[in-house]
Amino acid sequence: MSEKKIADRYLKREVLGEGTYGVVYKAIDIKTGNTVAIKKIRIGKQKEGVNFTALREIKLLKELKDPNIIELIDAFPHKGNLHLVFEFMETDLEAVIRDRNIFLSPADIKSYFQMTLKGLAYCHKKWVLHRDMKPNNLLIGPDGQLKLADFGLARIFGSPDRKFTHQVFARWYRAPELLFGTKQYGAAVDVWAAACIFAELLTRRPFLPGASDIDQLGKIFQAFGTPSPSQWPDLEYLPDYVEYQPAPAQPWRTLFPTASDDAIDLLSKMFTYDPKARISAQQALEHRYFSSAPLPTEPAKLPRPVPKRGSQSLRASDLNCLEGPTVLSPPRKTRRVMPDRDGFEGNAIPVDKNVHGGEIRQAAGHYTGNSDQFPTSVDFSVFGSRPMSRPTINSADRSHLKRKLDLEFQNPE
Amino acid sequence: MAANFWTSSHYKQLLDQEEVNVVKPLDKEKGLTLEDFKLIKTHMANYIWKLAQHIKVRQRVVATAITYMRRVYTRKCMSQYDPCLVAPTCLYLAAKAEESMLQARLLVFYIKKLYSDEKYRYEIKDILEMEMKILEALDYYLVVFHPYRSVSQLLQDAGLNDTSMTQLTWGLVNDTYRMDLILVHPPHLIALACIYIASVHRDKDITAWFEELRVDMNVVKNISMEILDFYEVHKMITEERFNAAVNKLGLRP
Repeated sequence: MSEKKIADRYLKREVLGEGTYGVVYKAIDIKTGNTVAIKKIRIGKQKEGVNFTALREIKLLKELKDPNIIELIDAFPHKGNLHLVFEFMETDLEAVIRDRNIFLSPADIKSYFQMTLKGLAYCHKKWVLHRDMKPNNLLIGPDGQLKLADFGLARIFGSPDRKFTHQVFARWYRAPELLFGTKQYGAAVDVWAAACIFAELLTRRPFLPGASDIDQLGKIFQAFGTPSPSQWPDLEYLPDYVEYQPAPAQPWRTLFPTASDDAIDLLSKMFTYDPKARISAQQALEHRYFSSAPLPTEPAKLPRPVPKRGSQSLRASDLNCLEGPTVLSPPRKTRRVMPDRDGFEGNAIPVDKNVHGGEIRQAAGHYTGNSDQFPTSVDFSVFGSRPMSRPTINSADRSHLKRKLDLEFQNPE
Repeated sequence: MAANFWTSSHYKQLLDQEEVNVVKPLDKEKGLTLEDFKLIKTHMANYIWKLAQHIKVRQRVVATAITYMRRVYTRKCMSQYDPCLVAPTCLYLAAKAEESMLQARLLVFYIKKLYSDEKYRYEIKDILEMEMKILEALDYYLVVFHPYRSVSQLLQDAGLNDTSMTQLTWGLVNDTYRMDLILVHPPHLIALACIYIASVHRDKDITAWFEELRVDMNVVKNISMEILDFYEVHKMITEERFNAAVNKLGLRP
């Protein structure tokens, strides 16, 4: 198909917002009649071609097809820019949690959280770490399905010794091992973040709203107590390990007064300090919390924010559901401006509102890229001295080998 | 082999050798033969290796870049997608996709430094333009699996992970990228074929170990044969023959 024709497939509607790496439009897919969201990735401005973060998202989303993962429907170049077509999502979990007009029953919470874990377990099965789990990256479609989105920080984690940056996640959702500077981490970091989201669904407020990395650990220890060596044997070997004033754990019942026993048991397994002992997303899905009464609400019946009328509010909510920048709540990034809900989060931390979240997020992505730059030539050291054009085996070896190869396995099983 | 290979786009995109060995009509019109086609791809794989060695990017990036380049030519013709531009652009894109940034500026610098020939000469803007075209040609599928990880794991499992065996096997794996094997076979089978050749070459009898694996040894043997056949033709790949082949395309006035 020619470039023109592909672009013609979508009928461009209003701008939804300015995203991490370009403008997001609402559009109608003429072929299917569906509403879609199109991210236009600006190329011209950058001297380094297709944006790194965008490319990472494309790469991973092309491999991930699941009801609880945002679908990348199409991609096409048009007028020198790359366009990504996503399914259109109405709102996000942060909007649900923060909307005081919404009552979430235990069954509703279970449903939202189950969908979160399903999407996450699917990622982990495919060896993808999301690394940016937080309520406003969990989008909610018109059918009530919750989908993981924003894979701009995600990575494939196949090889266990690979070093990653610990500068991932919005701070409030960062696992303790990341706060202690570990560079070798796994799926457990996403599980910790999911637990924070679970807690946030239950209490309707950010559960561990740290103001700095140090304060974040403080908040964690305040809730669960300082970890003992028996709880977390590897703790003192972590790069940024510092000793904290011992603090006792609070009773789970105090932390989550409204939660069921099963919910608390699951929370305690997900908020386990030692990442090796922390429950996996798949194990969490198999926890009895999900099979005991009340059963999860059907997605279509879940409470969602009422779409407001008027273009102003439409834009605002649409923007939230698609792009991070204006919604990133934790202070390291930018803070969502919510005039109708002032003071909701109590002692909110002052934030430099001039800082654009998108830039920061990009910077974080860039950092990840950089972290790989140093050990680049390692693989080459073994064969570096051998000129590349010379093959490993010469042709005299070849005929000899071929005879030998043929002799064996005459009768393979 | 990572557990997810079987559900990956890489697995779904594997082709038959006959599908890979198709000279596109437009190239055929210009007189490009199948031999020319293969020769150009091998030469471009070598070109990518050479660039990568000077720029110092990870081996994995090189392997991914060559895979991209070979995939592009299962769908696009060389007369419209100049190999001398596609190859470095694939390296550029692969570096991004494999999470190690390679500046276009640096790439262009090394191309100019290493090759004086006019046909290799491209500017940053050419590479950035081609990047988008390559993404489209690849249908935006960027995840590629390679035999390297399997090699380390399998050698360890076979108890053959000494330096000599590891080096030989890795060298063989590197060489497989001068062929289209990565488009046709699952990476772990390529890894096994390389281990097989290396073990025979070093007189290590691991027949028993191979028989315990649940793989079709016929396939492994066939891949091994293909690799060995390649070493036979490899010495015939010369700059002159490459130039003759690429000149048929009439890419630059």
